[in-house]
Amino acid sequence: MITEETETFSDTVEEEAPVEACTKCTACNTVCPVARSTDIFRGPKFLGPESERYRSHQETAVTAGLDLCSGCKLCEVTCPSQVTIQEYIRRAQNKGAEEGGRTLREWVLGHTRLLSTFGSMTAPLANFGNRNPLVRMLMEKVVGIHRKRPLPRYQWLTFERWMKRHPRPRQTRRTVAYFYGCWVNYNERRLGEQVVAILERNGIDVIVPKQKCCGIPAVVNSNMDLARKYGSENVRRLSELPADMDIIASSTSCGLMLKHDYAHLLEINGAEKVGARVYDICEYLWMLHEAGELDVDFQPVPMRLLYHAPCHLKSHGIGYPATRLLRLIPGVHLEEVDEGCCGISGTFGMKVEKYDLSMKIGSRLFEAVKAAGSDSVLADCETCRMQVEHGAGSRSAHPIDIVARAYGHG
Amino acid sequence: MKADIAVVGSGLAALVATRTLHQAGRNAVLIWPGLSSLYFTYATIDVLGYSDLTTTRPVEQPEAGVAQLIADHPDHPYALAGLEGLRSGTTLLIEWLRAAGFAWQGDLGRNLLLPTAIGTPKPSCLVPDSMAAGDLRRDDPIVFCGFHGYEDFVPELAASNLSRSWGRGEHSVRAVRITLPSFEPGNLFTSIDLARSFEDTTFRREVASRIRREIGVDGVRVGIPAVLGLTHDTDVYSSFAAEVGHPVFEIPTLPPSVLGLRLFDRLRKHIQESGVEMIWAAPAHEAEVSDGQCRRIFLKSAGREQPIEARAYVLALEDTVDGALRAGVHSMVDPFFHEALAHHEMPTERTDESLFKPQPYASIGYRVTRRLQPSDDAGRPLAGNVFVAGGAIAGYDPVGTKSRGGLAIATGYRAAQEAMAA
Repeated sequence: MITEETETFSDTVEEEAPVEACTKCTACNTVCPVARSTDIFRGPKFLGPESERYRSHQETAVTAGLDLCSGCKLCEVTCPSQVTIQEYIRRAQNKGAEEGGRTLREWVLGHTRLLSTFGSMTAPLANFGNRNPLVRMLMEKVVGIHRKRPLPRYQWLTFERWMKRHPRPRQTRRTVAYFYGCWVNYNERRLGEQVVAILERNGIDVIVPKQKCCGIPAVVNSNMDLARKYGSENVRRLSELPADMDIIASSTSCGLMLKHDYAHLLEINGAEKVGARVYDICEYLWMLHEAGELDVDFQPVPMRLLYHAPCHLKSHGIGYPATRLLRLIPGVHLEEVDEGCCGISGTFGMKVEKYDLSMKIGSRLFEAVKAAGSDSVLADCETCRMQVEHGAGSRSAHPIDIVARAYGHG
Repeated sequence: MKADIAVVGSGLAALVATRTLHQAGRNAVLIWPGLSSLYFTYATIDVLGYSDLTTTRPVEQPEAGVAQLIADHPDHPYALAGLEGLRSGTTLLIEWLRAAGFAWQGDLGRNLLLPTAIGTPKPSCLVPDSMAAGDLRRDDPIVFCGFHGYEDFVPELAASNLSRSWGRGEHSVRAVRITLPSFEPGNLFTSIDLARSFEDTTFRREVASRIRREIGVDGVRVGIPAVLGLTHDTDVYSSFAAEVGHPVFEIPTLPPSVLGLRLFDRLRKHIQESGVEMIWAAPAHEAEVSDGQCRRIFLKSAGREQPIEARAYVLALEDTVDGALRAGVHSMVDPFFHEALAHHEMPTERTDESLFKPQPYASIGYRVTRRLQPSDDAGRPLAGNVFVAGGAIAGYDPVGTKSRGGLAIATGYRAAQEAMAA
């Protein structure tokens, strides 16, 4: 009897209007790193569900203040009612951009892959330019990228081309697909090489299906159509793989796009099936370990390391597999620093009017990193690493770098 | 993912259970939903304020009160946890608070009586130092100080209510308001905004001097809303009290609770930095049971359900606050075993119209065995290796009897002991 009744009535309000699940408890505002650092941001509760109640497809979008949302998603993982707070903000911002047009900066930052292809082709010149004060001043004036923000170095040899020359191992237990993302392809090929070496060491063959940018730079720069275009293309190609083939990502945010945002935010057909097969690299290695399949014949790595958990990793809902993995390695002295968001949030902290705010958000983390005085700060996300290096003047690495060292691939 | 013991929850019960397991050298993983139920509670630790829902006379000696309660009601969750559970859990928590850098006071032997934001006396057992000067067992006059534009604390209301019940003479309670620097009374601001501002030395000194000037006389103590810093480590309270020149006490206001935030964030960091794995995830659900044992539970992770495989589980859910228990129109069904925890013909049966009367919904939860295992109608455990702690246990109203904290500690501690033995 109970079942019949609950089928008829239960939770209908939330199903028909999910925004009504918001009870205005304000938990999101208390964890929001932007709201913690500035009083000009009205906070996720107001800009998300509260404003959403007044938004309509027929009316022009009101976008004031929305750009201050950095997209860290801490509000969403915190919400006790699972309200998709940040998605409401993104959709409204995107609608505003569709109606009012996009800025040059939104176009540039949204087209990371195009930009990186160009940067990589002209690597020495692009890197020189990115470090030249005059160029940076122009870049700030014309595009709106803050002159003090160090930009990633481009590499002439991309991971894609390296992989083509890389001989495939002969005897393997299984094959996985690697979604390496723009960062590994154009800026940190070494990380990709390490991922491949580690997997191969464990008897796993790695293939790299053709891929586009995951789309997150476009999402956060008010261009969801572009993100959907990239995402659909990725989903199409990844769907062509054998249905039981796992997909590995080494970038936290790319992984989250594939796992979750393609299906939910961008509503791409077939994305759920693909997302269910996507694993973060450390998550995957830990699974191998639990199944007794990980080679744990590690060399000692005598280093004092500090682990910073990226915000988007929290959205994965898998804990911090990197810390579990690193504790298997002899010699590693690992501490966790828990000072919240680093502040960069992808392209957010690059923008001229957001740079100072981004440094303020990260200041607590920078202080903790300086006080700890470790050899390196580990973070799974590439822009977190950029920010920690810039803000705390420390070295940083992906946790995989330490695993690779322990296998003698340092 | 595998663990020795998985604890699900985010309130005091979950924290105490996790700490108990960690201290015993067990590999615990804490699955929490990214916020704490402490954000929504008073965040003092109330062991027993009233012996039942009808009396208005506060309990003076909580430990003795609990012993009497156990003797009178052998099925009460305190009886299941045992007085020993309460004592050991409290010792563990007090030591932990000290280790994490908190300054708290109180013991199980006696209750303090503290004024609430509406000026009613409330019995509490363990409280932060920053609240202790409000103790109504002291006789010195009280000045409630509010801030223009901050509507979550109305000093006149607190003063008027307290002067009626406290009875220390006509001029023993009064209310003042000051204007805060850099906060326009016409703007919207919350206790969180204020708490951040109070971490700034210049702001704090200016407020202190305005309060001092406004009060003008000596020999009083000052009650202000609990906004003295959002993180504990800045030691805002002691500097501020010195600057005001009177004993100062904080009064908790509406959620999100600044005191709860301070408490939880600090303990969470402490436990995480001590090496306990915490999984920040959407609610856990779905217990996979075979042969009377829970084999796995599942997390709603990005992209797929994430199994957690443990030898034993502690479900330290706090009512509905951490999102695990959700009410439908008629029923509340638990997300792990799909047991109906409550059924009402009309949703209104769950609530009493008066906010100040006992609320039926407050006592909804899992029926448990004497070992705190969730059980079916007939009292048979739903799974032998699952143990329930805190507000998710049925049959008591933690708000009405002012016993939320003590029960969280006692059942959290006891559930952890049972989980280790399972």
